[in-house]
Amino acid sequence: MEWKKLGRIFDPTQHALPNDCTQFAQSPQALVFNDFVRIYFSTRALDQYGKYLSHIAFVDMDKSFRDVLRVSDHTVIQLGALGCFDEHGIFPFSVLRHGNLVYGYTSGWNRRVSVSVDTAIGLAISSDGGMTFRRIGDGPVLASSLGEPCLVGDPFVKVIGDTFHMWYIFGTGWKRFTIDGPPDRIYKIGHAVSQDGINWRKEDGRQIVADRIGSDESQALPTVIGIDGRLQMFFCYRQSSNFRTNKERGYHIGHAWSDDLIDWTRDDSHMMLEGSPGEWDSDMQCYPHVFECEGKIYLLYNGNEFGRYGFGLAVLDT
Amino acid sequence: MFQWKKLGKVFTPQEVEGRYWLKEFAQAPATLVFDDFVRVYFSCRPQADNNGQYVSYSAYVDLERTNLFKIRRVSEQPILHLGGLGEFDEFGTYPVSVIRDGNEVRAYYAGWTRCESVPFNVAIGCAVSRDEGLFFTRIGLGPVLTYSPDEPFVLSGPKIRRFNGLWYLWYIAGRKWKIVSGRPEPVYKIRMATSNDGICWQKLNKDLIPDRLEEDEAQASPDVFYANGKYHMFYCYRYSSDYRGREKGYRIGYASSANLIDWVRDDDKAGISVSSEGWDAEMISYPHVFELDGRTYLAYLGNQVGKYGFGLAELQGTLE
Repeated sequence: MEWKKLGRIFDPTQHALPNDCTQFAQSPQALVFNDFVRIYFSTRALDQYGKYLSHIAFVDMDKSFRDVLRVSDHTVIQLGALGCFDEHGIFPFSVLRHGNLVYGYTSGWNRRVSVSVDTAIGLAISSDGGMTFRRIGDGPVLASSLGEPCLVGDPFVKVIGDTFHMWYIFGTGWKRFTIDGPPDRIYKIGHAVSQDGINWRKEDGRQIVADRIGSDESQALPTVIGIDGRLQMFFCYRQSSNFRTNKERGYHIGHAWSDDLIDWTRDDSHMMLEGSPGEWDSDMQCYPHVFECEGKIYLLYNGNEFGRYGFGLAVLDT
Repeated sequence: MFQWKKLGKVFTPQEVEGRYWLKEFAQAPATLVFDDFVRVYFSCRPQADNNGQYVSYSAYVDLERTNLFKIRRVSEQPILHLGGLGEFDEFGTYPVSVIRDGNEVRAYYAGWTRCESVPFNVAIGCAVSRDEGLFFTRIGLGPVLTYSPDEPFVLSGPKIRRFNGLWYLWYIAGRKWKIVSGRPEPVYKIRMATSNDGICWQKLNKDLIPDRLEEDEAQASPDVFYANGKYHMFYCYRYSSDYRGREKGYRIGYASSANLIDWVRDDDKAGISVSSEGWDAEMISYPHVFELDGRTYLAYLGNQVGKYGFGLAELQGTLE
């Protein structure tokens, strides 16, 4: 599997963004229309305490991915109410068409005291073609459970046959890697199924993709696509400590495949997406999203600093 | 109206010595009956930390079966460890509800975590004891009942029961956080879930008890008891603001049901309220009904939601 890099296609610092957001265009996810592609992303504002709030915005691009047609200038989805799971941000945001509706699965963030955050997965529905979304309830559709104690997030949903499948991440716990530093989290990729996209049955704690760099590997944002009859999953992974500035320990794109939706074989050697020295993705590649458009398979992803300066695109070389 | 004879306060946590984690509060009494004693689980607190914040533990006191005012022993240790860093029950295990299951005793408990924008969040965990309820081990690191679209936060106050071969969990679910005098206060309602195994739960997703005081009435401690052909629920309820005093504080309410799903609220029938003076003169809350040797008892909390312990009342007549 060879990916041809097309470079960075969106830099959030070059556009006006809604909700007073200024930087970051994280976890790009595509919704393909007849004559353009809408790419949702999470961008950030600062609240009154100087802490980040992640908001959803989108950019519509032509199908060459060279021209920006519009950037959303409105609130795509409100953040959650006081005390709700998504009060302090939505990141990432995974969309799929379902009949005339667009389902948006949210990874909602809420701040904690002993650790920085917890997350859960919500569902919001759009009946205006993905312009705006309304949540189905104040609470999440997937949250922590007996085998998944914290940090349920990063949903990716795909309907296969008549079953909804969700790949997502769950925290296995928090750990202090240094005596005086804040605790860091460790998370793995899991799987749940549903008949209606609302009521989900988890595998509850089964890590479906093997670690490659040790048990402290954190895995994030799975994305799944069928290529030549085989399911291919891309995700990003990193060490769970000292990963923000040490590029050897930071995010890279990983890969696994499956023929039965149960067993996944990890094979990062089939990924071959390297950072380009001196470029926007030189030190980090993360938050992949794979989609099909006009017969080609594309990979959206973020580069350095977790997408502070936008996202880029690669196309599968066939 | 039921007639309850108040027997007085049974247990005062301030009288217990040598346990740093049991300084005050004995909340949400729940009983497990043994041959010659009654074990009453309750939740308690060490002194508040430097920031005035509490953690809560759960423990038990064993009362003589033939004289419930005679204390046989108090647990040497909490019955449950607090959860680990970042887990749902890191800062408290309160309240607890227990049930026998074969040779085991199962505890369902509310686990507390601390949040930034609101003071806390709560989810319901499950733990198992294989030593007759002396110590419980969590069956997983996460909760057994957690947040969902219609129950966004504060799942607390579990009461576990088995009727007709099915497991029932009554609990409360937060509806909203209401800002009262600049401070977020949770509004919660009584809810129910059912299960074949006590592990995998189906929520009914329905408020069981209609509001009476106001839309933001808070309801807690849904304690269900079967007697004389129907199900009886005692619970407590209060106003959403200024509820720490007598006027708007907790009172005990009552509802009945033939099918466990549809409930008729009739608070006047509860038959127990605050006293004119003494340990339960400001509020009464967290009712728990149990039967012992042909008598029906109600354990409940008094002033300051059990800061100074719990007491007992005895039913005169029958529940019907």
